[in-house]
Amino acid sequence: MSRYKLSWPQRLAMYGVDHLRQLFASLGELWRTPLSSLMTIAVLGVSLALPASFYVLLKNAESVSEFWQSKAQISLYLQQDAIETQVSELQQRLATLAEIEKITYISAAQGLADFKGAAGFAEALDLLEDNPLPAVFILNLSESGRAPEAAELLLADMSAEPIVATARLDMAWLARLSGIVDLLRQAVVGMATLLLAGVLLVVSNTLRLNILNSRYEIEVMKLVGATDSFIQRPFLYVGLWYGIIGGLLAWWLTLVMVFWLSHKVNALAALYQSDFDLLGLGAQESLLLILTGTLLSLLASGFSVRRHIRAIEPS
Amino acid sequence: MIRFEQVSKVYSGGFQALQKVSFHLEKGEMAYLTGHSGAGKSTLLKLISVMERPTDGQVLFNGQDVSRIGRGHIPYVRRRIGMIFQDHHLINARTVFDNVALPLVIEGYSHQDIRRRVSAALDKVGLLGKDRYFPPMLSGGEQQRVGIARAIVNKPSLLLADEPTGNLDPELSMEILRLFEAFNRVGVSVLIATHDTGLINSQRYRTLTLDSGRMQTEEGV
Repeated sequence: MSRYKLSWPQRLAMYGVDHLRQLFASLGELWRTPLSSLMTIAVLGVSLALPASFYVLLKNAESVSEFWQSKAQISLYLQQDAIETQVSELQQRLATLAEIEKITYISAAQGLADFKGAAGFAEALDLLEDNPLPAVFILNLSESGRAPEAAELLLADMSAEPIVATARLDMAWLARLSGIVDLLRQAVVGMATLLLAGVLLVVSNTLRLNILNSRYEIEVMKLVGATDSFIQRPFLYVGLWYGIIGGLLAWWLTLVMVFWLSHKVNALAALYQSDFDLLGLGAQESLLLILTGTLLSLLASGFSVRRHIRAIEPS
Repeated sequence: MIRFEQVSKVYSGGFQALQKVSFHLEKGEMAYLTGHSGAGKSTLLKLISVMERPTDGQVLFNGQDVSRIGRGHIPYVRRRIGMIFQDHHLINARTVFDNVALPLVIEGYSHQDIRRRVSAALDKVGLLGKDRYFPPMLSGGEQQRVGIARAIVNKPSLLLADEPTGNLDPELSMEILRLFEAFNRVGVSVLIATHDTGLINSQRYRTLTLDSGRMQTEEGV
């Protein structure tokens, strides 16, 4: 004998209608326990907004760091007595290196001219008999050359060149900056993990309480032949709504946070004569944030609801 | 319809509720299950609706051994049984209509079907105008009839009633019995667990008597 009294197309159609009906009915379910729903959604929103805000900070720190990294350069101060053929040989060699993106040659004479124009003490310089400035190669490092180890290697290599008097790479602060960004990244990952674990626990606990509050109803439903999945559905939808609304709240909180900070950052950037703009959450990132909230909440609901509804048996 | 074969039930505390119980309820038959409190009446009904599992023996429902079926199959067995309880087991926060409609909603009937069938069921138990009431607004007898309407709304082949008249005066009890008889006349098998001797003596149906977990006598119709 068949388990069902209705044909499968009838059941399929009703299944879809039923899901839609319950999706919106469960929204009403949130109003039945407004305080606990509100608290859960608030915890979800804050817990997601914190890592999201730190992520925005991290993203900005990375963009600043990248901007400075792109300015990473090695200056080669040549020997005063270097002759022209040696210089052009070196230049040809430099051109073959993958670590170098751009080579700028500033001859001693040009250096002096620049210096005169920029510093404005042409008369003092005129007093000098010889040009005291060396010729300089300024090497802009390519993407692959910017890694600290690669840059150090290149620096050592350049120092060994006979016509190079001094090779200088201002790497220390770049290394520090990237170290700080790395640390920040780790901190964000660690904090996000903890907060997301908190989200899982809060959602699953709220649903556990919801289920215990409807214990009697669940027993009656089981008595008249409801399957576990039928009973689970409204609770899962409540979990889904927690996730969607909590995710939206987190997105909004992050938006407010960025807006509030961007004023301060713009003021600070103005002091440094920089037109740095704080980056906010992009469309994809916003979607990801809301989706993360939704999926986490659904996951937590799934575990909690399955376990606790299974445990209830009519007696 | 229901066949028990050497069924024993020992609860986890060591209490022996049923001992080697065997009986057969025919399709379309109506019978009483009687015995003093704690004799095992409720346990016997729970074994049929798979709320409990026997320690030993077989419980056959429509030829299917329900004592060994998997968890996932239990709801489908219960959908073929209408259950009626002494304390009604109604959901007070839902209307009479919603309570009666619950088995149909669970099975996925369309709204028109649900409305039609619920009205028919409420009509049979004489509560047609009360579908918008909530159970606490009704009398004990009316609540019991809502429970009966819910039990019969999806046309089960078997009705199990556990002390259905426990809280009712003799007159209301007879009304409830008339309802069961009406369902029995259209082919529904009915098993009524009761220690209401007035009820048992009013109409001669087969009586299954349990005493300390053992099946005592089987009185014929």
